[in-house]
Amino acid sequence: MIEINEITKSYGNGDNKFQVLKGISTKICDGDFVVILGASGSGKSTFLNVMSGLERPDNGNIIYNGNDITKLSDNALTEFRRKTVAFIFQQYYLLPNMTVERNVRMGADLAGNSDYKDIIKAVGLENEMKKYPSELSGGQQQRVSVARALAKKPEVLFLDEPTGALDEQTGRQVLDYICKLQMEYKFTIVMVTHNINIAEMANTVIKMNSGKITQINTNEKQKTAYEIGW
Amino acid sequence: MRSAGDTMVIGIKDISKLIGISIIACCAVLVCTMFLNFYFDVYQIKDILSSEHERIFYNAQVSTAKVVCIVSGGCLLITSVITLLFHIKHYIDIHKKELGILKALGYSNVKIARNFWIFGISIFVGAAIGFAGAFILMPSFYKLQNKDKILPEIYIHFHVDILLYLVLLPTAAFAALSIIYACFKLKKPVINLLKDNLQAKSKTEKKMSGRITDRSFIDDLKRNTLSSRKSLVFFIMFASFCFSAMTQMSASMRDLSSTMMAGMILIIGIILACTTLFLAITTVIKGNTKTIAMMRVFGYSQKECCRSLLGCYRPVSYIGFALGTVYQYALLRIMVDIVFREIDGVPPYKFDFPVMMISLVFFIVIYEIVMYCYSEKIKKISVKEIMAE
Ligand SMILES: Nc1ncnc2c1ncn2[C@@H]1O[C@H](COP(=O)(O)OP(=O)(O)OP(=O)(O)O)[C@@H](O)[C@H]1O
Ligand SMILES: [Mg+2]
Repeated sequence: MIEINEITKSYGNGDNKFQVLKGISTKICDGDFVVILGASGSGKSTFLNVMSGLERPDNGNIIYNGNDITKLSDNALTEFRRKTVAFIFQQYYLLPNMTVERNVRMGADLAGNSDYKDIIKAVGLENEMKKYPSELSGGQQQRVSVARALAKKPEVLFLDEPTGALDEQTGRQVLDYICKLQMEYKFTIVMVTHNINIAEMANTVIKMNSGKITQINTNEKQKTAYEIGW
Repeated sequence: MRSAGDTMVIGIKDISKLIGISIIACCAVLVCTMFLNFYFDVYQIKDILSSEHERIFYNAQVSTAKVVCIVSGGCLLITSVITLLFHIKHYIDIHKKELGILKALGYSNVKIARNFWIFGISIFVGAAIGFAGAFILMPSFYKLQNKDKILPEIYIHFHVDILLYLVLLPTAAFAALSIIYACFKLKKPVINLLKDNLQAKSKTEKKMSGRITDRSFIDDLKRNTLSSRKSLVFFIMFASFCFSAMTQMSASMRDLSSTMMAGMILIIGIILACTTLFLAITTVIKGNTKTIAMMRVFGYSQKECCRSLLGCYRPVSYIGFALGTVYQYALLRIMVDIVFREIDGVPPYKFDFPVMMISLVFFIVIYEIVMYCYSEKIKKISVKEIMAE
């Protein structure tokens, strides 16, 4: 359970001060699939970064299972990220001079996870284990970053436009892997996207506009990536 | 009219990063100019020497000048060449995309590489300062070399040859070297420049990483950091080598030569060691900012980041220190046994253990302070850094 209370965040100071988040509150339950939609510049990424402990808000609280992460010291916040969350970004940010296996190991070691090879298999990359990121296609690279994130067995997975750099077909495939793994490992998903179709896969859709939440919808039934057929 | 290749201008800002080369060049030229100038000037009084005593003293002076010029000049020359090549490679690595786009647009390698002549400026600046500095120090240096008035008065003359050989020619040579090396480095398919990633690893490396699979990520990153930038291993080793050799040599110089020589060697040694160390570590961090940021995102602690990136250089620096100790011992032995052999009053040279220990302690303290500063720097790398493309 993540409780978010009245978060504000601004960048710059003096005349250049620009308030990106203007008081955001919401609740996310364990095992939810939350999608955040909104126009470019509406503060989605900022919200995601603040919520996940990558950045600190100016005001407000973010409470994970009764534990307020805005009150944590830097080291404790690092420890929190280590134990609780994982990330997938639009640019995959793999380590270029390490093999696929090593990249996944970066996540696995944090959780002392020794069966990370199963996850590499689960995203269909068992034959590419010894390859370097530069030898893979975009979709394959994103699957590596999925495996890397899930190998650390997070409670919450944060994704910032994970399919933004991929074509429809490949994007759908990546999402499908993520959904399948969610069934198995039961983590919470919070995803920022521009693609309204993906929203149908979620059970909660948060719409943002200029730093505020304008609408929260809940879907009765979650669809799979193939059912929405975008 | 500007030629087409000039669209890519290597700015003054890029050149200012080469300050390390300037400093090394400055030290090299300072020392060499002083001794060479002295050598030429003392050569002129060769014919008016009368006594045997004068002759022996003269020979010793000339040999010292030669040894110092060759040893320090040679060492520093090699270092500046390696530093320069390293910087050019680094520059090309960082600006791969821009250079790739220029190539894709149809600029030839030579046209792009021509712009790299500007790297020669760093040598010029350093050499010119060193040259000027040498002339400032020269009066006291001359007095000192002949402080017992064994030789007749030696006058300072200005030798154009030295200016040519130590300042102008090196500048031209380094500018040419930059162009040639850049040309060589750019000679790869455009796509390799445009693609963010490294080219496929060599087979042996692949085999190695395949063999042992249960090494932890941190250990692997350590090995990777070391092997992916071998030039940095050299620089860090060189830094500790310089520190060790120069500080210990300086202590012996006080007995063998003079306090001024000792002070000069000490200062040059410390400056060289610190600049190289700072440059090398800065490069390690700059080159790995993304990796560090990603590790921080995933929740690796600052300690783990430091350990995996900087920790692997500690043994390297100790090896450098040991080599430096051996080097200075060998060098002084040669000087004392061969050069000063016939001169009375030069104390026999013995290895000075306490001095080595003092030098080692200072070395460890300085090294750890530098590492601490950099680990604080790593701490400041925000986890958002990775998103700033
Ligand atoms: N580090 C920063 N410093 C200053 N302003 C920033 C910074 N990061 C974001 N902003 C500003 O905050 C606003 C929201 O940025 P954010 O990245 O959250 O938008 P977004 O909704 O994710 O947009 P997009 O869909 O394009 O990714 C933008 O106007 C941006 O200019
Ligand atoms: Mg965004």
